[in-house]
Amino acid sequence: MKKHIKVIVNKVSFIASLLTAVTAASAANVSIHKNEISGLLTWTVVDEGFSIELIQLLPDFIRAIYGKHDFPDEEIERAASYCMFGTILKNTSKQQLSYRVANWRYRTKDGKEHPVKTKTEWLQEWKKAGILFAWTLLPDDGEFSVGDWQQGFTTINLPRESEFDLIYKWELDGVPYSGVLENIRCAPESLTGK
Amino acid sequence: MNGIMMQLNKLLLIVLLFVTATANADWQQPELSHNLTPVKKITPASDFELPDMDDEKIKLSDYRGKVVLLNFWATWCPPCVREMPSMERLHQQVNAEDFKVIAINQMEDTDQVFAFTGQLEIDPTFEILFDSSSAVAQDYAVRGLPTTYLIDKQGNIRYRAVGGRVFDHPEVIEIINGLIKE
Repeated sequence: MKKHIKVIVNKVSFIASLLTAVTAASAANVSIHKNEISGLLTWTVVDEGFSIELIQLLPDFIRAIYGKHDFPDEEIERAASYCMFGTILKNTSKQQLSYRVANWRYRTKDGKEHPVKTKTEWLQEWKKAGILFAWTLLPDDGEFSVGDWQQGFTTINLPRESEFDLIYKWELDGVPYSGVLENIRCAPESLTGK
Repeated sequence: MNGIMMQLNKLLLIVLLFVTATANADWQQPELSHNLTPVKKITPASDFELPDMDDEKIKLSDYRGKVVLLNFWATWCPPCVREMPSMERLHQQVNAEDFKVIAINQMEDTDQVFAFTGQLEIDPTFEILFDSSSAVAQDYAVRGLPTTYLIDKQGNIRYRAVGGRVFDHPEVIEIINGLIKE
């Protein structure tokens, strides 16, 4: 039986987040954290045996990461042009957890759903550019035992500061679940000092 | 001259990485647990031969008869960095005649790792090997970093951990001592 859990996140107000470091969302298990120095936002949702954390990443951070690994300039810029999030997935249950990024979608403001670009798709493109580096991106899928967790970049093909909803899915001992994180915002081009 | 420029470029990149990583400091939030999961099906750990910091070739099978903690990591991976001191403490605590820690670096070179280890609170004395093409990581079906396997004295994979851990936790040491006594 498919269980759908919809998580509603209050729209983030930069003005409100200036006043508080941690903003309580409407759903009890979702929190939005603002880095007091950088102004960058982190969304964390703790759901049925699963937690997902999305951390805004600055384009310069992406440039630095891939520059360090000697990527060609055009590939660095192509990666930095994406809306990227540091993503931390955790199995918070006592069961076996699995996920597949290919099942995830992002929903733009026009209501359309789009597939999240997978690590495999990136690696195929990078291979054509002569890049063999295969790390940093969130693995396409995972099998998590108790206490396991994983992190990597999630890539959304949207411009800076765009807003979207992330529809994410996971399974616990083969039982499917899904959740929606609403009003996620892509990072700005650079630190705003907000 | 080219060499100096390359070093300068590397230094600038490291500085840029540090500055931007500081801006993205939330990247390092999750607490580390100490759970190791017994594998459902015990399989032999694939043998490999990789260079160490001195470019000497080391084989996994060189350590047959010892319990081996095999860790896949990289310097840019925050949880890898966070769990490393606990790996060193574990290495110091368990008798070296029975136990070996091997950390297999992914796609970096000795210069990068040497510079990195110099900044750690505890200088690692365990084995660091270099998997420059990630071929060994692929053999071990490593999907993300860090991933760690615990291998018994017969060379079989017995436990796995995906994500950072605190390796010198008493429960981990108990598991290792149990494997040593087998």
